[in-house]
Amino acid sequence: MALNFGPVYEMMPSSATGNERHQKGIPMKRMDVSKLREIFGEENIKTDPSDLYAFGSDSSVHHAMPWAVVRPDNTEQVQKLMVYANQALIPVIPRGGGSGMCGQTVPIQGGIVLDMKHMNRILEINMPDVYCRVEPGVVDDDLNLALKSYGMFYPPTPASSRIATIGGEIANNASGVRSVKYGATRDAVLGMKVVLPTGELVTLGAHTRVEATGYQLHKLMVGSEGTLGIVVEATLNFVPIPEYRCMGIANFDLLADAGAAIGEIMASGAIPSMLELVDSVAIKAVNKTMNLGLKEVAASLIFEADGMVKEAVDYEINKMKEICKKHRGSDITTSYDPKERAKIFMGRKKLFPALSKYDDCLSSTSLADDMAVPYSKMAEMAGKIHEVAEKNNIIMTAYGHCGSGCMHTKILMDTKQPDQWASARKAITEIYEYVRSVNGTTSAEHGIGLSKAASFKVEKADSLKLLQTIKLALDPNNILNPGKLMQAPDDWVTATGLRYAVNN
Amino acid sequence: METKKATRFNHLQKWESTLSACIRCGYCFEHCPLFKFTGWESDAPRAKLITAFGLLSGELELSETSADKLFNCFYCRRCEAACSSGVTLTDVFTDAKKDLVEMGYTGPGTTSITEAYCAQCLLCVQSCPHEARSHGENGIETDPVKCQSCGICVEICPAEAAKIVHTFGTGKADLIDASNRFLDTHTSAKAIVFACNWSYYPDLQASRLPESETHDRDYEIYVNMCAGRLETETLMAPFINHAWGVLVSCCPEDDCQHKDGGKRAKKQVTRLQSILKSLDIDPERLQIVEIPNGDKTLFQAEIDTFIDRLNALGPIT
Repeated sequence: MALNFGPVYEMMPSSATGNERHQKGIPMKRMDVSKLREIFGEENIKTDPSDLYAFGSDSSVHHAMPWAVVRPDNTEQVQKLMVYANQALIPVIPRGGGSGMCGQTVPIQGGIVLDMKHMNRILEINMPDVYCRVEPGVVDDDLNLALKSYGMFYPPTPASSRIATIGGEIANNASGVRSVKYGATRDAVLGMKVVLPTGELVTLGAHTRVEATGYQLHKLMVGSEGTLGIVVEATLNFVPIPEYRCMGIANFDLLADAGAAIGEIMASGAIPSMLELVDSVAIKAVNKTMNLGLKEVAASLIFEADGMVKEAVDYEINKMKEICKKHRGSDITTSYDPKERAKIFMGRKKLFPALSKYDDCLSSTSLADDMAVPYSKMAEMAGKIHEVAEKNNIIMTAYGHCGSGCMHTKILMDTKQPDQWASARKAITEIYEYVRSVNGTTSAEHGIGLSKAASFKVEKADSLKLLQTIKLALDPNNILNPGKLMQAPDDWVTATGLRYAVNN
Repeated sequence: METKKATRFNHLQKWESTLSACIRCGYCFEHCPLFKFTGWESDAPRAKLITAFGLLSGELELSETSADKLFNCFYCRRCEAACSSGVTLTDVFTDAKKDLVEMGYTGPGTTSITEAYCAQCLLCVQSCPHEARSHGENGIETDPVKCQSCGICVEICPAEAAKIVHTFGTGKADLIDASNRFLDTHTSAKAIVFACNWSYYPDLQASRLPESETHDRDYEIYVNMCAGRLETETLMAPFINHAWGVLVSCCPEDDCQHKDGGKRAKKQVTRLQSILKSLDIDPERLQIVEIPNGDKTLFQAEIDTFIDRLNALGPIT
């Protein structure tokens, strides 16, 4: 059911970016299941509504039914599917772990979900050349387990690494707590093999650390949210697991002090391997539901340094400690001990379950959850989030990888009440207006999908035509994950059915 | 979206806010034995919650297939341990099953059934840890709501009449086939490890290593639902296929979900050790170790110790 709140706040004229085929309502030819059977075999196809219903969802607020789910084992099958879908004009939606938070894999126009989880082979771990080759369905944690025996790790790792696949991480340019030092997925991808919407297989990038051989199209594929091509193999670099890891925490009575500390740490030349902010709402939530007895201050900063030489790690940690002190940070403790480190990180780690259990009537939703702002604006951003939440009668926390400029939020709201959705939409619009006003960006880690399309379209207003030109150059029939990014509806609340029961 | 509420889901109704509280992160499906076996997300715990939501809201039509999703569960509760929102998933499934049974859907899914040739010895009724089996007019009956698919009845039934039809790779035949396949295809193979689902085996969960990394593996781990249901054939088959040894992991005695699975397994291993001895095979080649929930490190250490011991013993000649 689509919610109707009256006039939709139009972020910009949809004609500038719209999905032409969709808008003109050109009918899609009927999907021929026997064709799918021919390509994938009966055991790798799902068409029963009970299966399709589950595949219509991810970790976002959205839900829409696909027409079929298919599971390829190899590149040739992916190519055959794309040739067929391109000719029959059927949308194809590539899917990894289904852990995306903005609806990237929700089939807004129906079509075939291409479940990549069975192309899950780690093909090569090449130590002398420091790269590995993997299929897109390889799970992040599994890759890291395989690399561990070589003393190596793959650093972009998002929090969902236990189920997130490399393909999905590439599609969303995923990153996590360590991005401040090691970067995001885009920084780790050396090259890839991609099946284009026409079925053509192309090899992009290289196997070397640097490359200046024409357009770096593999970097374009990273973050393209399954709209430009289907990654069937990726070449990734990895780094050694550090010998030493030291974590510290500092409490701040004023959000602004924490913010100033963040800015100075990043400008000081210190290289944190993690720099996390947790706000007062988050601390209270964790205390309320987990009884952790954390000090209820305005903000806590959790910082970490890692390296091969203890003196070097000491140096980084001391530098960050001093800066926290200078900005009136208190209760500062640091530790190399894994158990102590786990204790320091406990408040941050328990935040998700704490928010879910905060209040029986409130659900923790993923909306406007990963904007990035310049370092000097992190504290102001957190303050803005609190202000907007209060004004709109919802609860919002601010926490995140402030060393990367990434601010996470969760919106706690009564999902049954239509007016709460209206409030959420209003709050999100205001928050994104602020983000753009300070030269921030709509998404740092989770991508755009459906939920963030409105702000994305405003932020990228002068390049939307270019983006659509690129999209149509690669996908002339607009069959690959249509209706996302610049093609997504302007109003995320009514873009698809919601996964929540909302009272009429 | 809630358009027409299926009011018949009286028990499921009380979980409405829980179904919204699930953030659908998907952390539950990594260790789910169903997902591990089929690889389909729609068999994973998250999908079951989505199914429950769909049925409750009326968005998903009630059918044999949608009902069956909720009858497929081994109640290992690994999903609950992994849940980032603290949802007690199996309680939701149980209440959904109550409603479904009232509406005439009984699965079986993973519920154990009893074949007509049952001798009605009542051993299964006595030993069911979940009081799911009873003797009535139609012989032995299983209560699909109470049954937690642990398979103790399957293991104990002398007539082999108690069965779990949908085993998702955890049944006797599945385990024997899989271990035989490993032993047949790996000249390096020495041991088979049967891990309780709670032993958090220290291995890749959902990906495959390159052939170059696996061709010389000396052991393989197979997951079963409870060490207490490992049958004689399952434990002895690897020896017929030239394994050097078999290692069983079980939960600590006071921590078995199926009451005394660990105890039963130990008894079984002791019995088989004496058979090995009578065949002049070193009984140390069959061992059982207790692995507390989640202790991957200990499990790996126990496997390494066992392999070292087997290397000292050499192949069975």
